[in-house]
Amino acid sequence: MKLRAVREGLLLIALACLPAIGEGIYFRDKISWQSPIPASELVTVDQARALGDGAIWVDARPDEEFARDHIPGAFSLNEDRWNELLPQFLPNWSPGKKVVVYCSAESCNAAREVAKRLRDEAQLTDVFVLQGGWEEWLKKK
Amino acid sequence: MTSKTSNIIWRIVDLIVGGIFIYAGVIKVLDPVQFANDIDNYKMLPWFVSVCLALYLPWLEIFCGLAVIFQFLYRGGLSILTALLAVFIGATIFAKMRGLDITCGCFGHASKNWNFSTHLLVDLLILLAALALFSRVWGAEKS
Amino acid sequence: MKTSILTFTLSIFLCVAARAELKWEQNTIDLHPAMGDKTAVAHFKYQNSGTTPVHFKSVRASCGCTTTQSQKEVVNPGEKGEIVATFNIGDRTGQQVKTVTVQTDDPNPSQATIVLTLKAMIAQAMEVKPAFVYWQSGEEPKAKKIWVKASKDFPAKNITVKSNSPNFESKVEPGSGSGEWTIEVMPKDTSHPMGSALVVQSDYPKDAPKSFSVNVQITPPPPGAPAAPVAIPSASPAGGVKH
Repeated sequence: MKLRAVREGLLLIALACLPAIGEGIYFRDKISWQSPIPASELVTVDQARALGDGAIWVDARPDEEFARDHIPGAFSLNEDRWNELLPQFLPNWSPGKKVVVYCSAESCNAAREVAKRLRDEAQLTDVFVLQGGWEEWLKKK
Repeated sequence: MTSKTSNIIWRIVDLIVGGIFIYAGVIKVLDPVQFANDIDNYKMLPWFVSVCLALYLPWLEIFCGLAVIFQFLYRGGLSILTALLAVFIGATIFAKMRGLDITCGCFGHASKNWNFSTHLLVDLLILLAALALFSRVWGAEKS
Repeated sequence: MKTSILTFTLSIFLCVAARAELKWEQNTIDLHPAMGDKTAVAHFKYQNSGTTPVHFKSVRASCGCTTTQSQKEVVNPGEKGEIVATFNIGDRTGQQVKTVTVQTDDPNPSQATIVLTLKAMIAQAMEVKPAFVYWQSGEEPKAKKIWVKASKDFPAKNITVKSNSPNFESKVEPGSGSGEWTIEVMPKDTSHPMGSALVVQSDYPKDAPKSFSVNVQITPPPPGAPAAPVAIPSASPAGGVKH
C-alpha cells in the first residue's frame, strides 16, 4: 500500500514537470529569472548607457536625494510631488525615447512604482527600471 | 448507512478536495508571475526557486486533483495533496510568526482579502477532508 | 561536583528566567486617510512582557516616504511604548503598503527582527486616463479621447475643461455611467512642438472645487528625424490637484 502510494506519487510528480517546462518555455521572455521585476522592464547600467541619447533618465528618489546628486541629465519625478513634476518631465519626452527610472538601490520600490504610473497614467511605452539603481550606477561610473 | 450511500458521500468529498486543488492550480497557471511574487513574499526562497516553483506547483496541484477525482493514481495524488496542504499551512503560520503580512496566494487572487484565521480555517478543513479520505483508503486496504 | 551541578541548574534557571519579550498589539495597521490628508500615521504599541530590558538596535522604514519615531532606546520589563510611523502621502494613490523593520537585542531570533506593516488606502478623487496625450510634429491633428471617472466618495455632478493654450480645443461628453465623462481634445496646429495642459474643473466640493490636469503635447519628431528648430516651451505649471 505504502509502496504503491509512493510509486504513484512519484509518477504524478514527474508528470507535472512536463507542462511546467512547457509553461516555462512559453513564458521565458515574460518572467525575470533573476529578480522579481519582469525581465522586459529591467535594464542594466550598461544597457541603459548604450542607449545614449535615446534614453531619458528619471530619478524617482525624494527631492533631497536628487538635490544632493543624480545621474547627469536625469529628471526628478517622485510620487511626493507627482502632480507637479509630471508636467515638467513630459515636455522632455518624445516618441521613441526609452525612459529609464531609478531609485537608490536594488531593494527600493520607488522606481518600480513611478515606472508603473508612467505606463498606466501617462500611457508611455518603453519604460524601464534600472537594475541596482543609483548605487549600481555609482559603482560603474 | 448502506455502503452505497457512504460510497457516494466519499465520492463527493473526493470531488470537493480534487476540485479545490484543480481550481487553485488553474488560477495560478494563468498568472505564474503573480504566484512567483506571492511565493517570494514569504522571503524563504531565492527568487529563481520561487519562479520554478510557481511554474511547477500549480501543475502538480492540477494533476493530483485530477487523480483524486478520476481515481487514477488515487493514492499518490491524495498523498501529495495532503503533503502540499501541510506545507501551505506551515508556511502560513511561519509567515505570521515572523510578522509578515502577506497573501498566501494559495487561491490566486480569490484569497487576497482573507485574513489569517479564515485562511487557516479553510486550509485546516481541506486537510481534515484529505485525512478522512486517507483513513478510508487505508481502512479499505486492511479489511 | 556539587557546585558544578548547582551552576548547571542555576544557569538553566537563569536562561529560562531571563527572558526578553516585546509583545506587539498589532503587526499590521490599516489606515484610511481622508481625501486631501497629507500624512497617515500608525501607532504600533508594544509592551515588554519579559523579565529583562529590551534595547532597540534599529528601526528602519522601507521607503523614504515613511519616517519613524521609536521614542525610547530601552524598554524595561513591564514598560509600554509605541513606534510611530508617519507615511507622507504626497501624490500617491491607491493601496500603499510600507513596512518598518525593527531590530532588538532579544536573544530569541524569531523575536529579534519584527516587521511592522502600515497599509494605507489612498482614495483618488478622480481617475483621468490617460493623463497625457500627444501628437507628433506634423501628424494629422486628429481628436483624442480622455476618460474621466469620479470615485464614489467624490460626488461631482459636472466637469468643465479649460485649455491653457489656444492651440488645443476640447469638448466634454457624459460617459456611460453617472460620474463618468469623456473629453475629446484636438490640436489646431501640429507643426511646432509645444506642451500645454487641460484643466479639468469639477463642481465638488462646492466651496473649493477640485481641479485636475491633463498634459497635452506636440512632441518633437522622433530621434533620427531632423531636429525641430523651435525650442519646446515648458508645460504649464497647472499640474495636480488644486483647491
